[in-house]
Amino acid sequence: MNWLTSYLELARAYLRINFKSLLAYRGAFISQMVAMFVNDFVWIAFWCLFFTRFPVVKGWGVKDVITLWAIAASGFGVAHVVMGNALTLSGIIMRGELDSWLLYPRAVLPHLLLGRTSASSWGDALFGVVVYTIFVRPDLPHFCLFMALIFSVAVLFVGFSVFTGSLAFFIGNADSVSTQLRIAMITFSTYPSPIFQGFVKILLFTLLPAMFVSHLPVSALRNMSIVEALYSFGGSLAVLFVGVSTFYIGLRRYESGNLMEMRG
Amino acid sequence: MSKYFYIAITSIRSKLAYLGEIGSKTIFLFVVLYIFLCLWKVTYAETNQTSLGGLSLKQMLWYLVVTESIIMSLPPIATLVDQDVRTGSLAMQLVRPLSYPLNMLANTTGERVLSFSINFAVGSIIALIFVGPLDFQIQSIAMFLLLLPLSFALDFSIYFLIGLAAFWLEDTTGLTLIYSRMTMILGGMLIPLELFPDGWQQVLRILPFSAIVYAPARTFVTGDVPLFLSLLAQQFAAILVFSFAIRVVYAIALKRVFSHGG
Amino acid sequence: MESAVSISQLVKTFVLKKREGIRWTSTDVKAVDGITLEIEKGQSVAFIGPNGAGKSTTIKMLTGILHPTSGTATVLGCLPWKERTKLARRIGVVFGQRSQLWYHLPPGDTFELLSKIYEIKKDVFKSRRDMLIERFQLSTFLDTPVRKLSLGQRMRAEVACSLLHGPEVIFLDEPTIGLDVIARQELRDLIREWNQENGVTVFLTSHDAGDIQHVAKRVVVINHGRVVLDDRVSRVRRQYLREKVLSVKYADMPEPFSLSGVKTLKESGHAFKFEVDTLVVPIEKVMTEIMRIGSVVDITIEDPPLEEVIAHIYSTPSAAVTDDEADDDIDNDESVS
Repeated sequence: MNWLTSYLELARAYLRINFKSLLAYRGAFISQMVAMFVNDFVWIAFWCLFFTRFPVVKGWGVKDVITLWAIAASGFGVAHVVMGNALTLSGIIMRGELDSWLLYPRAVLPHLLLGRTSASSWGDALFGVVVYTIFVRPDLPHFCLFMALIFSVAVLFVGFSVFTGSLAFFIGNADSVSTQLRIAMITFSTYPSPIFQGFVKILLFTLLPAMFVSHLPVSALRNMSIVEALYSFGGSLAVLFVGVSTFYIGLRRYESGNLMEMRG
Repeated sequence: MSKYFYIAITSIRSKLAYLGEIGSKTIFLFVVLYIFLCLWKVTYAETNQTSLGGLSLKQMLWYLVVTESIIMSLPPIATLVDQDVRTGSLAMQLVRPLSYPLNMLANTTGERVLSFSINFAVGSIIALIFVGPLDFQIQSIAMFLLLLPLSFALDFSIYFLIGLAAFWLEDTTGLTLIYSRMTMILGGMLIPLELFPDGWQQVLRILPFSAIVYAPARTFVTGDVPLFLSLLAQQFAAILVFSFAIRVVYAIALKRVFSHGG
Repeated sequence: MESAVSISQLVKTFVLKKREGIRWTSTDVKAVDGITLEIEKGQSVAFIGPNGAGKSTTIKMLTGILHPTSGTATVLGCLPWKERTKLARRIGVVFGQRSQLWYHLPPGDTFELLSKIYEIKKDVFKSRRDMLIERFQLSTFLDTPVRKLSLGQRMRAEVACSLLHGPEVIFLDEPTIGLDVIARQELRDLIREWNQENGVTVFLTSHDAGDIQHVAKRVVVINHGRVVLDDRVSRVRRQYLREKVLSVKYADMPEPFSLSGVKTLKESGHAFKFEVDTLVVPIEKVMTEIMRIGSVVDITIEDPPLEEVIAHIYSTPSAAVTDDEADDDIDNDESVS
């Protein structure tokens, strides 16, 4: 357990210094956060309008979709507030910046992920919690489960970002592929899960694991079901495992120097 | 012989970057249109309707193709104007008040038309795959082709005004963000105006946003003449209002430039 | 003496894929072609060579970033690529292109972070940090954001960062690049002091002949992935680095100049280029004479470029100097500027 506390300490130290670094340019930081808020809010507005006209769609009402948005936004936000480098992993690999991280007495992946914070993600992280509290007005047990589910979704987003970023070990132009995959993932994650059926539904439980954001967590909160929450967390761990494995397989190739062109 | 082959390959390769951009637009449009297809399919089924807001499912998806194509084709008008204000190159052209905005309009509209065409082509192919072809009527296409450039011109004039705010504001990106998001929501990008709550519809028909997004899209899918005429009127009115606003702001800006010594 | 770095027949081959026209060709590039080297604890070694000679590749293998194709290397008894994290606690690294310092924050914040990364105990960290601040003279800008520091200040802080966790070996890759004359000398002095007083093994790569002379006691020259020369700095200086090039510009035509040990390389109008053999005549004497014969408008003193030195190494038979002469020079080393 010693290593866990050690890495938690490390995460705290990085969070502190990252935040301090953001504060050095307070104006830009705040405006990026606000911009994210506005962006996210547009979607809440859309859903409010939609559900005013169509109050229930496949058992989902406006509170459900707002809950979904809250979990997705905060999950994504927390993931990239703490591990901002997950978003730029493909660039780090392609520019040979991995070498710097290999010089430290720390496991490469977690350390490098902690190295940066994404300014706009702070907006997402806050937005979800604010919107959930104000629009859904949960009681304490629901709010606690909500926070736990944010953590679960954050784990999933880190895993997925690491997976897409690690593609840079294997293909050229990984940056744009990785961005496309992330956009697709986030987009599918923010729509009511019951609208997807058949083949696509299977896809969203596997290759593009959006269901672990849009289906299981929302259902767990509706039913106050710990079991469903655990299933959700299990899915997140599976995605994390895939991401981390992909990274370390690619790292082995990198260390043998087969990516010469990339190291400049 | 291989030399010419090599030249051809190199030329194709340089276009690949450009194609990459189209590729990412394609993926994005595919995802969005597919998701909305699912959403609307379910909604139509649950409400047991074949027509919502006057549109069938097929028309709803094609409506989306047009609105998304319009929104995604936006060139960085406000940013360009903002930069010109800050670097002073706008000040140099203020003595001839008409040429700068018209130049900017010409440049950006060309870009916008091209971008729109690509988006629309990609979106159409996807819509054809998902719901099949729309029952086109010549008149609806004609009306659409009339409303679209006016829609671009109106959108331009508002972004142009925002860019001019650079004379007074530190940063215009906040305004740009808010306006673009309002256009998306209040312009009917995702749902046609008819499906908004009743109270809203009156207000939204007056505001410029729907003239930019909803107007061309709605006309395209259902060529309704009375609607077309009212939308045309709305657009003209809005363009007049904003052109006037530009003239006023220009005059104020001119005074400011001269009082500060250019 | 214990070994700090022990390299035996180290080889690294890369597969380079190049595009020629429309086809891809794949070639094997031997970046490191059989290096054998033994560095004792406490030594100060300059590892020099032209670009592409294999310096960076060797360092990357020694620090655990790359796996070798064949051969072995141990650093402080550890296999770098197998025991990367264990070794990382005991070595320090300053790479030219890589900055540990957080750009928008004062250096003090980076120190704090490093203490957490390396898990340094609080009291140990405090005393070591204060000592580094004093020795490297960082107190004047400890609270200034790094982006506002001069390059010289930044490099001092960088080297201090690399020493915070008390490493036994430090690897420095082009640490003085881009620095002005004074900053360069300050940094060299600091590194040399740290080596002599704290017993830290120094492994330095550089393009700069001055770095070699003022920091290292031993120089290893590599070219095409192989060790070309491995000798004491004093001996190498005597043989290959004794010349200095002086470019002088006068206001008007000076008196004729002749001094043994000084060769006129070029002259055009009022501008002259001299080559000075510093083992025959000290620079001071040459400068005095140059200033005496005319009114100097501009003067530059340069070391011969390293590429020339290496080319010289190839062409000159070695061991033209006796051991006694070399030992004399070791004592004189510190006094030469």
